[in-house]
Amino acid sequence: MKRLLLLVFCLSIMGALWATGTTEGDDGPITIKFWTHEDPARTEIEERYIQEFEAANPGVTVERVTNSSKKVPELLLTAFAANEGPHFFNTQIEDGYAYIANGRVAPIDAQAAGFTSDSALINAYVDGVLDPVSVGGDVYGLPLELTNWAIYLNKRIFRDAGLDPDADYPRTWEDMVEVSEAIAIRDGQILTRRGYDFRYPYYLVSLIPMVEQLGGQLISDDGQTAIVGDEAWLKVLTFMQQWGPNGMNLGSPTYTNARKTFNQDNNDIAMALSGLYQAGRIRNDNQEFYDSGDWMVIPYPQFEDAVKEVGALYYGHYYMVNIQVPEREQKMAWKLIGYMLSHPEEYLDRVGLTQPTKALMASKTFLSTPYADVFAADMERSHIVYYAEDSARMQELVKEAVEAVMLSGESPEKALASLKVKAQELLDQQ
Amino acid sequence: MRGGIERKMARWGVAFVMPAIVFFTLFSFYPIVSAFLTSLTSRKILSLLKPDFVGFRNYGYLLSSSDFWNSIRATAVFTLGTFIPLLIFSLVIAFFITGMKRGQRSMQLAYYSPAILSSVVAAVIWLSILDPRGLANQFLNTLLGIQGVDHHWLASSVMVQFSTILVYFWKYIGYFVIIFITGLASIPPSVYEAATIDGASRWQSFGRITLPLLRPTIAFVSIMSMLQCLKTFSTQYLFTQSGAPGAPINVITLNIYNTGIRDHLIGRASAMSIILFVIMLGFTAVQLRVSGGDKVSY
Repeated sequence: MKRLLLLVFCLSIMGALWATGTTEGDDGPITIKFWTHEDPARTEIEERYIQEFEAANPGVTVERVTNSSKKVPELLLTAFAANEGPHFFNTQIEDGYAYIANGRVAPIDAQAAGFTSDSALINAYVDGVLDPVSVGGDVYGLPLELTNWAIYLNKRIFRDAGLDPDADYPRTWEDMVEVSEAIAIRDGQILTRRGYDFRYPYYLVSLIPMVEQLGGQLISDDGQTAIVGDEAWLKVLTFMQQWGPNGMNLGSPTYTNARKTFNQDNNDIAMALSGLYQAGRIRNDNQEFYDSGDWMVIPYPQFEDAVKEVGALYYGHYYMVNIQVPEREQKMAWKLIGYMLSHPEEYLDRVGLTQPTKALMASKTFLSTPYADVFAADMERSHIVYYAEDSARMQELVKEAVEAVMLSGESPEKALASLKVKAQELLDQQ
Repeated sequence: MRGGIERKMARWGVAFVMPAIVFFTLFSFYPIVSAFLTSLTSRKILSLLKPDFVGFRNYGYLLSSSDFWNSIRATAVFTLGTFIPLLIFSLVIAFFITGMKRGQRSMQLAYYSPAILSSVVAAVIWLSILDPRGLANQFLNTLLGIQGVDHHWLASSVMVQFSTILVYFWKYIGYFVIIFITGLASIPPSVYEAATIDGASRWQSFGRITLPLLRPTIAFVSIMSMLQCLKTFSTQYLFTQSGAPGAPINVITLNIYNTGIRDHLIGRASAMSIILFVIMLGFTAVQLRVSGGDKVSY
């Protein structure tokens, strides 16, 4: 028995020594792990960039791992919690900011990323787009995309409902109700065709601008007060209550996701909120619909009594590098990121992603991209989405309030009161 | 001499039990202790800094939080609404299947098949059934002879709770039926034969023989099903991800997940898991005491 235990002990010690003794030398081969979200069109071009990069950098292997966009934040978080994060990744700024705040990502190595200096890097991008990833004079991320949403419209469904898409498209939220009612087909209480429906979980991007149009705010300018402007919030919550199954029954979070259904052109939904990238996805999912010319993009609507014009808020997907990997591997990761991002026109043309460099925004490719002007005009009257360590929780609180009025029969006043208390408590905890 | 043999056998006994003890220590006991220690800190999941020791402040916060008490309510509703019907129906179905002269195997297979599906797949299947345009509305409307009524399976606070219970009941009923069938098979046929000779009816046999002799199995099934219900997560998670309102089905496990992963507050999430652990431990002890454990006499 003692011999057996001794043998097990010796084997474990040997195993531990072997496991810790396999670190690579300073010039040995490197494997860079890159985690990102699924996007077939992007995968196609990035796999090519990676092959080219590997050929130009012998000894470097890149493992590109994709997961659904909903799954990536959770996978990243658990991996980083176990100190096993990938070399680099991209994530939305609402999720990504916590990595900067907690010192989990490295500042950009501008030269490795292909810029002559830090200031050359900052100057290459449109003013302000690096602000969300800049802390204490350092920049921690490079944008894979900067996206805002506008409304995709199916002209065929409009015509089928007796509407002229070019003349009757909704300019205001009040129009949106009217047009959606004209388009909706119901079997009793069950909607079999919807006019428009919201992108429900993404309230920070798509609902907050409605509040801001009416003069309200998520967080006050001084950052001290949450949920500002009761009247604006009440009007938006009442609007959502009326939109839902217990009001005018024009849509609900429990119906199939409007953005995905839109591409199928199956007489299910006439309008959906999405980014410039949606055009590429329509092309991938339904080439015939893409080529038919029976779709168009219209600006994000405004309230009739809006006190200011606000488009859907924009968000950025930023590439960030894990600070816990050796410095040599960090440099290589930035080099690869720089290489991939040196093709902004192909990203725009093939994937529909806007990488906000000054050069791209002035390029012919951008200016000739169908409906890029609609998105650009909306972006001008918009601002970046709320980002902080707690932005996911803040979005959840807004979601709770909207669901309470839409689905649980709660009054907008009660839902707002609860939202104000919880949001303020969250803000105070920061 | 005899003592020497016993000691030698005992050593082998320890050797055979050791892997299980090591496994339990590593994968159950250590995480429990670690979660308890974490629950006494303000640890955030991404932070590399040493977390502050906050004592029982996380527990104090939770006990005064309406969100946490809502989770207790949601878990209690789900557990009572699922485990009592599961216990009763699985016993009744097992009794009928055991009494069948033909087709026992295929019935067992039919009932058990949902249990082999992953909870995620089961929830996805049910999401399409419970969609406003899905089979659930069509079936119920046909059954009631009405048209176009949306029963809001996922959209109303009450119905979404019922829907999660329905999915769980469908998924696990077969598993507990099989356990009851095994328990029923372990009752000696001679006891029934003697009762039949004495003139006992089928229902009398069930009430006077089957139920008392099945007590250990009933205790086992009730504890297992209750623990499973208290740990429910994936159905509620997928439903809320697909647009269902969160508050009515925000069971403790879902709250733990959201607090730890979405809000990054791993210290507070650990406190919640310790509370859940204590609840589960308490209920198990009570059930064992009430049911008399595995005591059965012929």
